[in-house]
Amino acid sequence: MRVFWPKSQNWREVIFDLRKQETLTPFHPEVLSFVQALSMRLVRMRAYPEVVALGYWLRRAHIHEMKEAWLEETKNRFVKSRGTVFHLAPSNVDTIFIYSWMLSLLAGNRNIIRVSGKEQLQTNALLSVIIDVLQEAEHTTIAERTIVLTYDHSEQVTAFLSSECHTRVVWGGDETVNAIRRIQLAPIANELVFPDRFSLAVLNAEAVLHAKSEEKEQLLQRFYNDSFWFDQMACSSPRLIVWTGSNEVIEAVQIEFWSLFDQVIRAKEAELMSAIQVQKFATGLALAAEVETKEFKHGTTFSRVSFERVPANVRERHCGGGLFFECKATELAGVSTMIVDKDQTVSYFGFSKEELGAFVEQVPTRGIDRIVPVGQALDFDGVWDGQSFLKSFTREVVIL
Amino acid sequence: MMYPYDLAKQEKERFLLQQLNELTDCHVEYCSEYRSMVEKSGGFTQAETLEELPFIPVQLFKMMDLLSIPREDVVKVLTSSGTTGQQVSKIYLDRETAVSQTHALVEVMKPVLGGKRLPMVILDTKSVLKDRTSFSARGAGILGFSNFGRKHFYALNEDMTVDWDGLRHYLDEHRGSTILLFGFTFMVWEYFYQEAEKQNIQLDMGESILIHGGGWKKLQDEAVDADIFKRELKERFGIRRVHNYYGMVEQVGSIFVECEQGHLHTPNYADVLIRDAITFGPLPMGEQGLIQVMSVLPKSYPGHSLLTEDLGTILGEDNCSCGWKGKYFTVAGRIPKAELRGCSDTFAFDRKEGNG
Repeated sequence: MRVFWPKSQNWREVIFDLRKQETLTPFHPEVLSFVQALSMRLVRMRAYPEVVALGYWLRRAHIHEMKEAWLEETKNRFVKSRGTVFHLAPSNVDTIFIYSWMLSLLAGNRNIIRVSGKEQLQTNALLSVIIDVLQEAEHTTIAERTIVLTYDHSEQVTAFLSSECHTRVVWGGDETVNAIRRIQLAPIANELVFPDRFSLAVLNAEAVLHAKSEEKEQLLQRFYNDSFWFDQMACSSPRLIVWTGSNEVIEAVQIEFWSLFDQVIRAKEAELMSAIQVQKFATGLALAAEVETKEFKHGTTFSRVSFERVPANVRERHCGGGLFFECKATELAGVSTMIVDKDQTVSYFGFSKEELGAFVEQVPTRGIDRIVPVGQALDFDGVWDGQSFLKSFTREVVIL
Repeated sequence: MMYPYDLAKQEKERFLLQQLNELTDCHVEYCSEYRSMVEKSGGFTQAETLEELPFIPVQLFKMMDLLSIPREDVVKVLTSSGTTGQQVSKIYLDRETAVSQTHALVEVMKPVLGGKRLPMVILDTKSVLKDRTSFSARGAGILGFSNFGRKHFYALNEDMTVDWDGLRHYLDEHRGSTILLFGFTFMVWEYFYQEAEKQNIQLDMGESILIHGGGWKKLQDEAVDADIFKRELKERFGIRRVHNYYGMVEQVGSIFVECEQGHLHTPNYADVLIRDAITFGPLPMGEQGLIQVMSVLPKSYPGHSLLTEDLGTILGEDNCSCGWKGKYFTVAGRIPKAELRGCSDTFAFDRKEGNG
C-alpha cells in the first residue's frame, strides 16, 4: 500500500478522516478554482498530448458550459452528491482516472482513487502535478476530500474501500470488472463499470477518394491520432475499418489511403517495438487461418487483415499496436448488422447526420454508444459507454 | 571434417533449400491452417534462397494447434516451459518426427561427447519425466540427452535440494571415467552452484563435461555471463568442459551447440538467419537482429522455418577456428516484452495471486 495523497502512511486513518468531511454542492466554487488551477498546469505538459487534451477539457470555458447545462437540467430540483466515490483507474490510459475523478468532484463527492501500481512515466508526471496542486493552501477543501493511493491486488483492501464508498467506478476491462464485481459494495452504493470495448471507423470510399488533398491530409492525421495515441489499445481507438461504396471505388481508395497513411506514420518517427511487430505478425497469421479472413498484409508501420465479415470472437483477438481489420459494405445501412454488443465508438468520414441517425436506429444489438467524426474517437465526454457520470455521481431528492 | 558440421556453404544451402521447400509444400498440403496463412499472406512460390523461405513466429504455437498429421498419429506432445499463467506452445510429434529428432540430437552431440554412452548426472529432479506422453521443455531436453548417458543419476531431490551424499557416492564410483553432466542453465546455477557456495561445498567432478541450455534470462538479471558461469563452475567443481546449447521445444533435435571456441554452431540440417527486429528484412553477418531458425526435421507440424523472439548475431560461416563448418553465432537474449497502453489489462486482477 502506498498513499500518494494525503502525506500519511497510515491509510486506514486517512480513510477515517475522509469520512468526517462534509460533501460539497455540485459545481462548488472551491472545486471550480481547483479544476482551474489543475487545467492551467496540464495544458503546459506538451510532451504528453493526451494530458494537454485533458487540460483543455478542464479549462474554465468548458467547465462553465457544463455548469450551465447542469443548472438548466436541475432547475427547481434538488440534486445532491452521493458521498464517497471509489475509482479504480486503468493502468494504461493514464488520463482516464482524472476525468472520472474531476466529474465526481464537480458533483461534490469525496474521492478515493486507486491508481495503477505499474510505474509509468506519464502517471508519475501527472501524479506529481496533481500533488503539487493539492498541496497549495487555497485548495485545502479539495485536498481534505481526496485520497490517491495504490496497492497490489488485495481483495481485503478492495473490500474495505468498497464498503466505505457510495459509488464505485471500475475501469479496466472485462477481467477487472468481473474480479471487482465479486467484491461486495455497501448495499446503498451504486456502481459504474467500464468493460472491454471495440471500436471501428466507417469511411465513405467515394468521399475519401474525392476529398481535396488538404482534407485528405487532415483525415489521415486525425485517423493517426485516433489509432496511435494509445497504441490502438484505448477502447475507442478504431481497430476495424469499414469501407462503404462500390467495389472498384473501395479498392482504388484503399491503395491510396494506406500508402499515404504509411507516409504519415513514417513522418512521425514513432518508435516501433520489436515485440509488437512480432505480435502483429503472429496475430495476423493466426487470423488468416479463420474462414472469414480474405487476406493478411504485414507491413512495417502497420498491418492489415481483410475480412468477409468480422465475428465477435475475431474482434477479441485484436492485439493493438497498428493492426487494422477491414471489410466492405455497399452502404452505411448495411454496416448496422455488423455491430456486436461490444462495439463502442464509430468514427466516420463522409456521412451526414441523417445517414448516421438512420444507421444507429437500425443497429439491432447492444453495440454503439458514440458516433464521432474521425479525429474525435479519443475525446472523453461526460457521457461514456452510454452512461452519464454527473447523473451517476449524484442523486435526486424528491420533495412533494 | 566432423559430421554433422561438414557441409560447406554452397552445398549446405542447396541441400537445405531442397529439403525446406519440400517441407513447405508438405505442410501447405497437410496443415490447412498453415495453408491459409501462406496463401492469404501473399501466396507461396518455391524459395530460390533461404531468405525467401516463408517463416512463422514461434509464438503462433502458443496461439493455436498446428499439425500436419492426423491427430491419431500423434505419439508425443511437447510443451514449452512458460511461467505460470502464460500460454505454452504445443508441439505435436508423430513417430517419424520423434525418431528423426532423437537421431539428429545424437549426431549433433557426437563431436562433443564421442560415440560411447557416458555415466550421466542430471542436475534436475526425476519427477519432470512423470508423464511419458506429454513433455515440458525440461522433460524433453532431459529425455533427449539421457540417450548419451548410462546409469543416470538425478542430483536434485523433489524439493530441489541437492542429494550431495548420493552425488559424492556416484562420483567415487565412476572415478576415472568421463562423466556427462546435464542441466538447465539457471537450474545449474541456482540449485547446484549457488547451493554449494552457500554450504561451502567443494567437489571434484573429474573429467566431466557439462551440457546446459534453456536461456540466460535469470542469470542476466544477476549479471552472470558465460565467462563467469564457466569460471565459477571450474573453480567450485573442477568442471573444465562446458558447452551451452541454443534450442527450443518448437525445433527439438536440431539444436545449436557451442564448439570449443564458445560459438554456437549450425549443423548440416539446420540453419539460422538474422532478421531486422522491426522490418523482418534479412541482415548481413555481424549485425544483431531476430533469429530465424530453420530445420529439416519438423514433418508433423509446420515448424521448419520459425521466427524467434531472441536476438542474435552471426559471427561467421565455415571459418570457425574449431574446424566445424556452418554458421556460428551468439544469442543476446529475448526482445523486451511489449507493454501496450490501453484500457484493457489494468488492475491485472487475475494475473497475480495472493492477498498482497
